[in-house]
Amino acid sequence: MSMKLQPVQIATGSNDRESRLVFENGLLVAVLVQLSGEHDSQAGKWFLEIGFGRVEDPHAPLFDDLAHAQDWIVRQLGTDAPRA
Amino acid sequence: MTDALGTDADLPPRLPASPPDIVNPFVRKLEGFGPLSGTDRALLERLSAGGHVIGPRIDLVREGDAPDGVILVMEGIACRQKHRANGARQITAYLVPGDACDLDVALVTQMDHTITTLSPCRVVRIPTDHVKRLMDEHPAVARSLRISTLVDEATLREWLVNVGCRSAIERIAHLFCELLVRLQVVGFASEDSYEFPVTQLDLADTVGLSNVHVNRSLQELRRQGVIELKGRTLKILDRQRLRSIAEFNAKYLHLGTRAAA
Repeated sequence: MSMKLQPVQIATGSNDRESRLVFENGLLVAVLVQLSGEHDSQAGKWFLEIGFGRVEDPHAPLFDDLAHAQDWIVRQLGTDAPRA
Repeated sequence: MTDALGTDADLPPRLPASPPDIVNPFVRKLEGFGPLSGTDRALLERLSAGGHVIGPRIDLVREGDAPDGVILVMEGIACRQKHRANGARQITAYLVPGDACDLDVALVTQMDHTITTLSPCRVVRIPTDHVKRLMDEHPAVARSLRISTLVDEATLREWLVNVGCRSAIERIAHLFCELLVRLQVVGFASEDSYEFPVTQLDLADTVGLSNVHVNRSLQELRRQGVIELKGRTLKILDRQRLRSIAEFNAKYLHLGTRAAA
């Protein structure tokens, strides 16, 4: 798998703006948003704003950093994920 | 996550002080659906007297259990909920003071959902044969109880619309509007405030949102000057705006002229 993260700012209607578009083999599979100070103890963690296909999960955990988020996304995609 | 609604750790193991000159919320609720005689009122007061004070997050009856009487909440907030195998859950109703679980629960052999306290509650279990006698021998009470069941169903429909058709902020605004009306009816809310002892996680599972989206929506409602949350007290600063966000119309609660909010 070849995963790429593209920094982007998202208007979430809150102070959570710092975000990453997550591409796997050139296809957008997820959008991650970093939680701002208004989330207190969770500030700085990464939130799965949306996942596509196998990455969709309304109860995804919060991730301490982008490496953990990527590991989780890879697991969701699985080894037999459809390729581009 | 922002501790907007209190965390498990700091919930008191006791009930908050009851409002002064409290009228029995069960009587108050049923009387709202139709006139009751002095005998009816006295009977309802006897049936709802006593009970047990139960801490938060205690299952009163679990999915799969055989029903054991009609559960009546006299103080605090409980909920109906369904669990998925993966641990996810959906809260499908709040039981506020004066609310009971299904009256005809004795007709089924096992519960299809779980009833759990969200806050410390005072709970009364009314034996099903007492409920049956009440329904058979007191037609005015029976009528009010049947209307109450219709309102429960109407509220469930409204909640379904909430999770299916409303945005995050609209869902929360709608719930806050509904609770203001329901709690005012039983004397547990002032003109613009009430105790809301529900954690942010419980709220997320009520409106079908992530904890993050709930927190963002609460912050936005605060930023707009619509609500204020201090401890467990929710104060609605701009009722008109909150109703407008939610497109709230209290008609489904069938309260006649009592819906002040």
